[in-house]
Amino acid sequence: MSITVYLPLLIAPLFALLAPRLARRLSPGPATWMLSTGSLLVAGASVAALALLAVPLAAQLPVLAQQGGWSGSVLAAHDPVRPPIAVTALTLLICLAGSALRSLLGQAVALRRSYRVAAALPATGQLAVIDTGRPDAFAVPGRPGRIVVSPAVLHALDSGQRRALLAHERAHLSAHHHLHAAAAELAATVNPLLWSLRGATRLSCERWADEAAAAVAGRFETAAALARAGRLSAETPVRAPARPSLAAALTDVEVRLAALSRPAPRRISSWRLVIPLLLVALCGLAVANAAAEAHALLELAQGR
Amino acid sequence: MAKRASGDLEAEVLAALWAAGHPLTAGDVLQSLDDPELAYNTVQTILTRLHAKGAVERERSGRAHTYTPVLDDAGLVAHRMRAALDRGSDHAAVLSHFLGTLNPDERSALSRLLGQPGRKAAR
Repeated sequence: MSITVYLPLLIAPLFALLAPRLARRLSPGPATWMLSTGSLLVAGASVAALALLAVPLAAQLPVLAQQGGWSGSVLAAHDPVRPPIAVTALTLLICLAGSALRSLLGQAVALRRSYRVAAALPATGQLAVIDTGRPDAFAVPGRPGRIVVSPAVLHALDSGQRRALLAHERAHLSAHHHLHAAAAELAATVNPLLWSLRGATRLSCERWADEAAAAVAGRFETAAALARAGRLSAETPVRAPARPSLAAALTDVEVRLAALSRPAPRRISSWRLVIPLLLVALCGLAVANAAAEAHALLELAQGR
Repeated sequence: MAKRASGDLEAEVLAALWAAGHPLTAGDVLQSLDDPELAYNTVQTILTRLHAKGAVERERSGRAHTYTPVLDDAGLVAHRMRAALDRGSDHAAVLSHFLGTLNPDERSALSRLLGQPGRKAAR
C-alpha cells in the first residue's frame, strides 16, 4: 500500500487549520456548509484510511482468510503495512468507532428530547414565552420547531431588537443549524484532529442566523439585541455550572458583533471554496487509490 | 428590509405584548412594533387570531379592546423543559442559545464593542 493511504490523516489537521480561516471570509451560509460537510467528509476519509491500513492484517486472521478464500501467508508476504502500524490503526479504529457510536446515540437522544419538548411547549405558532427563571432565548428544533424566550428578555429589548432576536432564532430552525452542529460533533469524535471545527461550525451557524436577523431587522438592531441580551444574562447570577464553552463564547460574541458592525458580506466568491474542495477531493482520491491497492492485494492472495 | 411571513408577525405581536408587561390596545401594539409598513388592520387581525387561539386575553376598555398575553402553567413547563434539555452534555449541539451566560468582565468587553458600530441607518 503506497503512501497515499496516509494522506487523509495528514489532510485532517490541515483542513482543521485552514477551514475556519476560510469560513470567516465566506458569507456564513456557504461557510457553515463547507465546515460541516467538509469535516464530515474528511473524518470519513480518515476512518477509511485507518480501515485500509488495517485490512491486510485483519484479513490474515484464519477465520477471515477462510471466508474470503485467500492465503494468509501470501498476504503477510506482500502486505506493505508494517504490523505495528496495522495494529495501531486497528486499535484506533475500534476506539473511534466506539466513541462515534456513543456520540451518534447521544445526538439522537438529545434530538428526540428536543422534539418532544418542542411538541409539549405551550407555543402560539413558533413562539413560546416561558419564564425559565433566567434570561433565556433559544431555538428548540422539532416539528415544528419552537422559539423559547423568557419574558425578561422581551422586556429588555425594544421592538427592532425583538424582531432581530426572533429572526435570529427562526433562522436557526429553518436552516436546521442543529444538524450542522451535530455533523461537526460527530466528525470530531471520529477524528479528534477535527475537534476545533466544532466551535467554528457553531460560530458560523450563529453568524448565519445573525445575518438572517440583520436582513429583517437591520445590522445595528441585531448587534444591539445581542449586546442587550448578553448584558441581561451577565446581570443574572448563574446557578447552573458554567458552560465549558464560556471562554469561547466571549470571543464568539466579539466576532459576531464585529461582523455586524461591518457591512453585510458580499456574495460568495467561489474561488475561496477551491482550497477546501481540493482537500476533500484529495482525501477521496487517496482513499479510492488505497482501496484499489487493498483490493489488488486480496486478489493476489486469492491466487487470481 | 425583508418582508415577513404572517407567522413571524404573529410572534412579534405576541412578543410586543409580553415586552409591555401591561394590557395593550391594537393601536399600542402597532406603535410598539414601530414598523411604518405595518397597517392597523393587520395588527387587529393578528390580535383577533391570537385571542382565538387562547394566547391572549381580551378586555374591553372604553371603545377599544386591550390584550394581555396568557401565561398557562408555564412554570411547570419551564421546569420540565429545563430538566429535559439540561440532561447530558449533548444538548449543546441541539440548542443554540442566543447568547451564552456572560460574566461582568465579558459584559464590559461587550459594552466596549457595542460602542464601535455606528448607528448609521435610522430604524
